[in-house]
Amino acid sequence: MITFGKGNLRVPKWSKRVFMVAGGCTPFRKYFPEYKLEELVMMAYKMMLEENQLKLSPLEIKDSIQFAVYGEFADHFQDQLLCEAKIHDYLGLDPLFNVGIKTGGATGGSAVLMGAQAIASGYANCCLVAGWERMDEVDTRTGNFYISTAACKDFETRMGRIYSSYYAPMANRFAQIYNLSDEVRAKIAVKNRHYATMNPNAQQPGEHTIEEVLESRMSAYPLRFLECCAMTAGSAAVLLCDEEMAYKLSDHPVELFIAGGSHTLRVADRRPMDIPLLPNEKPGQYDAFLKENPRWPGFESFLAARFAAYLAYRMAGVKDPLEELDLVELHDAFTISDVQTYGDIGLRPYGQEIDYVESGDCYHGGKCPANLSGGLLGTMHAVGATGIWQAVECLWQLQSRYDYFHGDAKWWKRAGKKKPRSWKSLQVKDPRQALWVSHAGVGSHVTVGILRKAW
Amino acid sequence: MAKKAYEKAIKTRYTGKPLKLYDEKKAWVVRWPRALEHHHTYGLLTPFFKGLTQGRLMATRCVNPKCPQQSTWLPPRADCPDCYERMKWVRVPAKGKIYTYTLVDYAGVGIEMKTPYWQIDVEIKGVDTIFKGFLAEGKPYIGMPVKAVFRTKNPTHTILDVWWTPDE
Ligand SMILES: [Zn+2]
Repeated sequence: MITFGKGNLRVPKWSKRVFMVAGGCTPFRKYFPEYKLEELVMMAYKMMLEENQLKLSPLEIKDSIQFAVYGEFADHFQDQLLCEAKIHDYLGLDPLFNVGIKTGGATGGSAVLMGAQAIASGYANCCLVAGWERMDEVDTRTGNFYISTAACKDFETRMGRIYSSYYAPMANRFAQIYNLSDEVRAKIAVKNRHYATMNPNAQQPGEHTIEEVLESRMSAYPLRFLECCAMTAGSAAVLLCDEEMAYKLSDHPVELFIAGGSHTLRVADRRPMDIPLLPNEKPGQYDAFLKENPRWPGFESFLAARFAAYLAYRMAGVKDPLEELDLVELHDAFTISDVQTYGDIGLRPYGQEIDYVESGDCYHGGKCPANLSGGLLGTMHAVGATGIWQAVECLWQLQSRYDYFHGDAKWWKRAGKKKPRSWKSLQVKDPRQALWVSHAGVGSHVTVGILRKAW
Repeated sequence: MAKKAYEKAIKTRYTGKPLKLYDEKKAWVVRWPRALEHHHTYGLLTPFFKGLTQGRLMATRCVNPKCPQQSTWLPPRADCPDCYERMKWVRVPAKGKIYTYTLVDYAGVGIEMKTPYWQIDVEIKGVDTIFKGFLAEGKPYIGMPVKAVFRTKNPTHTILDVWWTPDE
C-alpha cells in the first residue's frame, strides 16, 4: 500500500488571487487547409481580445501582457520544433518571455496552471495562455500511431498503436466490477454529440441513438468509434490577470483555482494505495469498498484526477462538489474516461459513478450538467488547446454568454455552417461555479480547475 | 594549393525531390515525406528483452531491507522509485491470470499483429504490477489462467517476443 508524505499533501496557496477574464477559440475541424497553424492561433487570440466585452482595446491589452504560456501536445504532429517562438512572434508579443508546456492530453490544463502561477507569483499581472494542435498533416492511422507513442514505447505501444486499446481494458474491468453496461457508456456519447449540435465550432456534432452508438464500428472492444474523440486542428486562448488588472479589464471576471496530479504512464504499474479523501468524504467511508477492490485505483479510477481534485477543492474552499458546482467540463476522450472521472472528482462516491448519468444529474437541467460544450466527443480534441478551450466554455457559461458564443449567426458563418433550426440554448441559469478536468494518457497528468464568478 | 570551399565562388543546383501537391482547392497543401530511423537503447532493461529470447520472464525486485515497499516490477525498472536503490533481477513464473483485456479491432499504422486480436493484461503471482501482452489463441475472460510463450527463434528484439496462451 502506497501512502503519501505529509508535505506532499500540502494544499497550494496562491500568493496573489488569479482571475480569468477572456477566452477565444477557432472552429474545430478534422482537416483545416485554409489556415496555417499560426493563423489559427491568431484567430483564437483575436477572438479573445475582441469578443469578451473587455474595457481596453485589443492593442491596449496587447500592450498590457507580460508573459505567455503555450500548450502543444506533440512535435510529431506539428513537425516543427520551437513552434512557440513562431506563434509568439506571429502574435506580435516579442520580447515578452514565453514557455511551451507539454503534458499530453492535459497540456491545456497544465498551461493554464503555469499561467496562473505566473500571476499568483507576481511575475505577471496579465498573462496569455494559448494552445493548439494541427493533427491533419498525417492520415488518421498515422495519427493513431503518433498518439500511441504517448503509451510506453517499450512495453505498450506495439500492443495496439491506438489509444483506444489502452482505455478499453479499463472499460472491461470497470464493467465487470461496477456493472457498467454498454448502454450507459453510449448515453454519454449520445448526450455530448447532441450538445455539440448547438456549438458552431463542433467537429463531430450529431443526433445519435444508443443503438447507433453501439452498432458503430468497433475500435477496441468495447469502445466503438462513436465513443471515441477524433483528431482535430484548432486553437484556443484565455487571458489571466491579477485582481487589479482583472477588474480594470472586465466587469465580469471569474476567479481561478487549479491544481494537478500525476500517475504512472503505464496503468499496469499502479500499485494499491490510500484513497485521498475529498472534503465531503468521511474517514472509513471506503473500508468496505476497499475490501472488494483492494487494488484502488487499479484500472478503474485515476489517482491523478483524485489528487488534483483533493487539492483544488481545498484551494477553492469547495465542500460538496455536486451541490456547489453548477456545471463541469470533463475529459471525455472516450466514454469510459468520462465515467471513471465521476468518482475521482466526487460527483459520486467511488462505485456509484453510473448513478451520475442514470439520475439525470449530468444533463442540461440536471443538478450538475457535464460537457454542455459538446466535449471532446462532440466538439474537439486539438490536444494542446483542449484544456484551454474547456475553460473558455466554462467562462462563457459563468458570464451567461453561452447564447452569444453559440447562438449568434456570425459564429455559424465563421465556421462555414448554417445554424440548425433545432438550435436551443444550453445556458445554465445563473451559474456561480464551474469545474473542468484536463487529462493526459491513461491518467498520467490531470489538472482540476475551478472557476468562480467574481462580480 | 587548392582553394578551400569558402574561398571559392560557387554555383548551386537543386538536388532535392520536388514536393507533389496533395490539395490545391482552398490552399496549397503539399505532400511532405518523412522517413526516419532511431537508435533506441533498452539500457539497464536489456536483460529483460534478452531474457525473452531465452524463454525467461525477468522482473526487478527491490531487496533493500529499509525500503517501505520492496515491490517486484514487471515491466521491470532498474531503480526503485520508493527508496532509489538499484533493484535485483528475479525470474518470475511464466504464467498468470487475466486482469482485463480488449479486442483490438482498428489499430494504428505499423501494427505488427493481424487484427483483430486480443490484448490482455496479466496478473502474475509475486509481481506487484500488471503486465500487458496479447493472447495468441482463445477468447479471454477476467480471471482466465494463461501461460507465456517466448519467441526464442528469429526474435523481434521487442516486447512482442512474449505472448500468452490459455492454461486451463
Ligand atoms: Zn526500494
